[in-house]
Amino acid sequence: MAPIPPSAPIPALARFPAEVVEAYQRYRASGDAGAVEAVVIAAAVDYRPSGSGAPMVVEDQTRLVEDLAYDSVAVAELVFFLEDLFDLTITNEDIVGVRTISDLRACVLRNLAGKARNT
Amino acid sequence: MSPVVTGIGFVTPIGNDRATVERNLREGRHGISPVEFLGNPDLPVKVAGTIKGFEVDSPNWRDWSWPSGYEMPKELLRGMAPHGVYAVCAVEQALAAAGLRRSDIAEDPATGLYCASAGSAMLLHHNLAQMRAVRGTRGNPMGVVSSIAGTLNFNLGAHYRITGTVCGFVSACASSSHALGYAIDDLRLGRIRRAIVVGAEELNADSLLPFAHMRALSKQRDPRKASRPFDAERDGFVGAGGAVALVLEDPGAASARGAPALAVAAGWGQAADGYSVAASHPEGAGLLLAMERALADARIGPDDIDHVSAHATSTPVGDLAEAIALGRLFTSRSLRPPVTATKSLTGHGLSVSGVMQAAFSILSIAGGFMPGNPHLSVPGRECEGLDLPRTTLGRTPTTVLSNSSGFGGSNVCHLIAAPGRFTG
Repeated sequence: MAPIPPSAPIPALARFPAEVVEAYQRYRASGDAGAVEAVVIAAAVDYRPSGSGAPMVVEDQTRLVEDLAYDSVAVAELVFFLEDLFDLTITNEDIVGVRTISDLRACVLRNLAGKARNT
Repeated sequence: MSPVVTGIGFVTPIGNDRATVERNLREGRHGISPVEFLGNPDLPVKVAGTIKGFEVDSPNWRDWSWPSGYEMPKELLRGMAPHGVYAVCAVEQALAAAGLRRSDIAEDPATGLYCASAGSAMLLHHNLAQMRAVRGTRGNPMGVVSSIAGTLNFNLGAHYRITGTVCGFVSACASSSHALGYAIDDLRLGRIRRAIVVGAEELNADSLLPFAHMRALSKQRDPRKASRPFDAERDGFVGAGGAVALVLEDPGAASARGAPALAVAAGWGQAADGYSVAASHPEGAGLLLAMERALADARIGPDDIDHVSAHATSTPVGDLAEAIALGRLFTSRSLRPPVTATKSLTGHGLSVSGVMQAAFSILSIAGGFMPGNPHLSVPGRECEGLDLPRTTLGRTPTTVLSNSSGFGGSNVCHLIAAPGRFTG
């Protein structure tokens, strides 16, 4: 992915807070893996099913299904969003191993690293 | 046994609630507005029957909005097409009008859902383009259920937790009349005691412009000239979006819970042209047979009909065929009922058309009026002998014949009657 100017709009992130957009732009500009975390957490919160109860703090060990009430369709939507945002293709085998926010972040970083090696 | 209609809901170019729709029908006010598609002012499509109060043009459901008062959880929206939003609003109105809560129909094996839509060409195109751009490596996981022709029944069936019957119909402009007909049959056969019938279509470049390429759309800019069924100068139809929903019930079941009947679904019939993939039979042969079969089903004759809601879309060929068929059904000129083509006000909602006309017929019966044909100037010669009132008639119809015709020569006709008739 080519670096994008800081001021360029990112339609996929239009509904996200400014700090999330900034984190994504930082990742795009520098490859800073630490910036990916903010985007992954924000996406996981955004895609959580509406019946998942009161807002809660989402942390590394927060579980998608048990804590955030994700079903398989919501997981597939979240993964597709991240694939599209980061221009990745995440395999079914990778998704099956994702239970927590930490797993999801690791999955995205692993695929980003694999993509970097192949380009 | 003739099922009764106990609930009705509207999202149409002439209003998004029963009172507004009825007022505009009475007053002959159209809902056709200027449109421009794909940023191209040179396209020959200048007007359409637009839906007001909704914003569903984006392929991303997160961009959509709808009138306040309707609950749309994201678990529902993520799998829906734009016309699904219209449909949910129409169904919510129909359930409320029937005095039903969602919990009354959820997981009730005696409730069925009968849907009609063409799917979402816009979402299908968007999702497949997205997939092709990455050479098939990824795609929207909700791409199939949100866009193919069954999207309405997939989504509404799951959202309302329907367990009796869930099905969809795809006979183009006759689709929702087929949905209504098969709902009536399932009620008569005792398979279910309650049916929700819904037709819906979205209006956008992908849904409408292909009809311009068939040379089927009017090129007029003036809404009063663009949609003028049966007029000698008609030059094609005006596209429209929207959704209409009906709740039908076994009369005993409706009576047992004290739900008043708005109208009776007295009978229906269908027959096909066997002639052309797109054009009507030149003399409306299939439509005539469908009308005769509807009458036979209700065990009445042409003289019992006191109003006709014509399919008439304002195309030269289609209106000609229907005018000839009507002339052959009503052989006694002295007994010919008034004929109304409500598409002059709404445009042509394709899959919604049949159930929309049935719902308008119910409003006529309940409200004591017959809408006119306000855009009709000089009727075509083939209409000689048809009673085509220009303005609304203040007479209460007791039995309305409502016609639908779709691609491939499908013709479906319904008889909608006042409560108290055909209850045996």
